[in-house]
Amino acid sequence: MNYVNTSDWYNSLRREFEISGLGIEKVSRRSEYWRKSNLDIVSDFSQDNSQIDLTNLKGTSLHEPDLIVHGDILESVTERNYQVLNIMDVIADEKSFAKDFFGRLEKKSQNIVPRPLARDNTLNPKVGYVFSLSDSFNKPLVIHNKTDTSVSGSFQRNLIVIKEDVEATIIETGNNLSVFNEVTEIYLEKNAKLNYLDLTGENNVSPKIAHKFCDMAENSSFNHFGLRLNTKATRSEIELHLNGKGISTSIANVCILNKKHHYSDENVLINHNAPECKSRQVFKSIIENDSTSIVRGKIYVASEAQKTDGYQSSRSLLLSENSKFFCKPELEIYADDVICSHGSTSSSLDRESLFYLLSRGVHKNKAKEMLAVAFISEALEEIEDESIKSALSNYLDVWISSFFHE
Amino acid sequence: MLKIDDLRVSLEEEEKQIIKGLSLSINPGEVHAIMGPNGSGKSTLSSVLAGKDGYIVDSGTVKYDGSDLLETEVEKRAALGVFMAFQYPIEIPGVGNMNFLRTALNSQRKTRGQEELNAADFLKLVRSIAKDLEISDEMMKRPVNVGASGGEKKRNEILQMCLLEPKFVILDETDSGLDVDAMKLVSKGVNSFSSSSRSFLVITHYQRLLNYIVPDFVHIMVDGRIVKTGDKSLALHVEETGYKNFLQLGKEKH
Ligand SMILES: Nc1ncnc2c1ncn2[C@@H]1O[C@H](COP(=O)(O)OP(=O)(O)OP(=O)(O)O)[C@@H](O)[C@H]1O
Ligand SMILES: [Mg+2]
Repeated sequence: MNYVNTSDWYNSLRREFEISGLGIEKVSRRSEYWRKSNLDIVSDFSQDNSQIDLTNLKGTSLHEPDLIVHGDILESVTERNYQVLNIMDVIADEKSFAKDFFGRLEKKSQNIVPRPLARDNTLNPKVGYVFSLSDSFNKPLVIHNKTDTSVSGSFQRNLIVIKEDVEATIIETGNNLSVFNEVTEIYLEKNAKLNYLDLTGENNVSPKIAHKFCDMAENSSFNHFGLRLNTKATRSEIELHLNGKGISTSIANVCILNKKHHYSDENVLINHNAPECKSRQVFKSIIENDSTSIVRGKIYVASEAQKTDGYQSSRSLLLSENSKFFCKPELEIYADDVICSHGSTSSSLDRESLFYLLSRGVHKNKAKEMLAVAFISEALEEIEDESIKSALSNYLDVWISSFFHE
Repeated sequence: MLKIDDLRVSLEEEEKQIIKGLSLSINPGEVHAIMGPNGSGKSTLSSVLAGKDGYIVDSGTVKYDGSDLLETEVEKRAALGVFMAFQYPIEIPGVGNMNFLRTALNSQRKTRGQEELNAADFLKLVRSIAKDLEISDEMMKRPVNVGASGGEKKRNEILQMCLLEPKFVILDETDSGLDVDAMKLVSKGVNSFSSSSRSFLVITHYQRLLNYIVPDFVHIMVDGRIVKTGDKSLALHVEETGYKNFLQLGKEKH
């Protein structure tokens, strides 16, 4: 079969992936990776394409887009000293550097967990950005997502390569309801560092699954912060391969849901394949009103990954009795000299703390708000950049306050 | 100022009466001390006055400045000037001390219909109080009570008192866990704060404190009641002989 406007390398990859894809377990209630999840993610394409932006971030450094993904169109807004390519051009280019990278991590990600939707994505990309960075940028790259009402059910495919010793920060904002399935493959070379803040999906009423796969070389570092604010059916899958000594990584997530039948579904798999690496996972969910937060976090430690330091904490604050938190922490360890810990808790607002605040005259809603803000602070602390942290923390304060004053 | 009349209070979780017919009247400017054996209900009384949930008022009334205190919301009581220094101040990770203090002060002012204090004025105020109580800047920057020693937590309670300027103050064993110097410091804080319009209810196990904060009345509480009231010499008497004579009084009243 021939594909219009695609290169030979992509065509042959596509053929191979199509065939091997037949063996990938499909999404179903029976799959342990989907048991508690909202299957609307695969079945319900009905879309309310109202365009919702993270408008409150306007005026902060978090809202000056450099790049816009609008429906299935990629727009470059600012001049940069590196080239951002469109995935559609890349898979059409016989000589693209991407041919050594594209699809490799998606394929690897199928080893432990079946990811049929990531495979679909490899076969059908429609939009996405590709860049290879050989110089650090001093300012975060802000990627803004926007819906195009004439497009729906589209697949977004991104590829990021960060060269040796290069550091970068990417902030993703907005909502692109035209895209329902996203895969980002990330390659970090020696000493490279990527901070990725995924602030998308606020009030997203459409199903959305986003995958991020990351290959990490010696001493590299990947810090991911995810924000889920009243997402209706959002699922995130993150898989990291720690392939060299001295890697450090942090995956933090804040999820706040207070609308009926809303879901947020976080799945993380960290493969420690090399010694002396450190990984942290911090999940905080505040849930109310029959909404559901799901966290599946797994740490895999290969036999050669001695001196691994793995930490995982998943905590939820349940504000009503019918809100649900499902947490499945997993450790699979084949090395003997490791420190790995995981903890998971679910609780309501602490009565003693609440009384303490009230007894000092703090109004009830304000007191609850303060405790909720305090609850997520551990996750925010994972963000290194102070200015981003404080912008985000101010933004969340406003958001949480509206939560208690509705 | 405060008038407790035949108060009876049980626990919500189990059928157990803790306060068993307690009456107490406190006028403006008065300092009352309550002493009593462990478990006699002193902290329960303070908690009920401050408005903690988990208790059932079986009977009796508490009037504060003429209004029904037990029917008043916790945060409203605070705004009306009721303040309890906790026997065991809790830690609240993630809530910054300064943010907490400023929110508390301004919430109260708002409830009372006063203007909020701006950041600069607040800072000046809180710094001068902290200085008097020898509370370090570093301590002020931490989350509420997190990592504070027992004595530091008690000092924080007094700082909150001085900042919020309540009219009726309950000190629930604020002296326990304080070293001699800290106790002097705290007493100094309390004394400089006392006035003809402020009243104190001081719960303590030690007569020592009452040398610094001199009470107008000393009450002995046994098994949920006040069994004896006297002046400051009563505290000295307790120090010498313990509670054994009073335990009997508690039973006779049944
Ligand atoms: N929430 C509760 N659950 C169970 N028992 C309680 C509770 N609160 C108080 N009590 C019981 O009520 C009694 C009185 O307790 P309270 O703390 O008021 O005593 P206290 O006089 O302050 O003692 P101490 O001098 O040790 O501080 C005790 O027997 C205590 O165990
Ligand atoms: Mg007590």
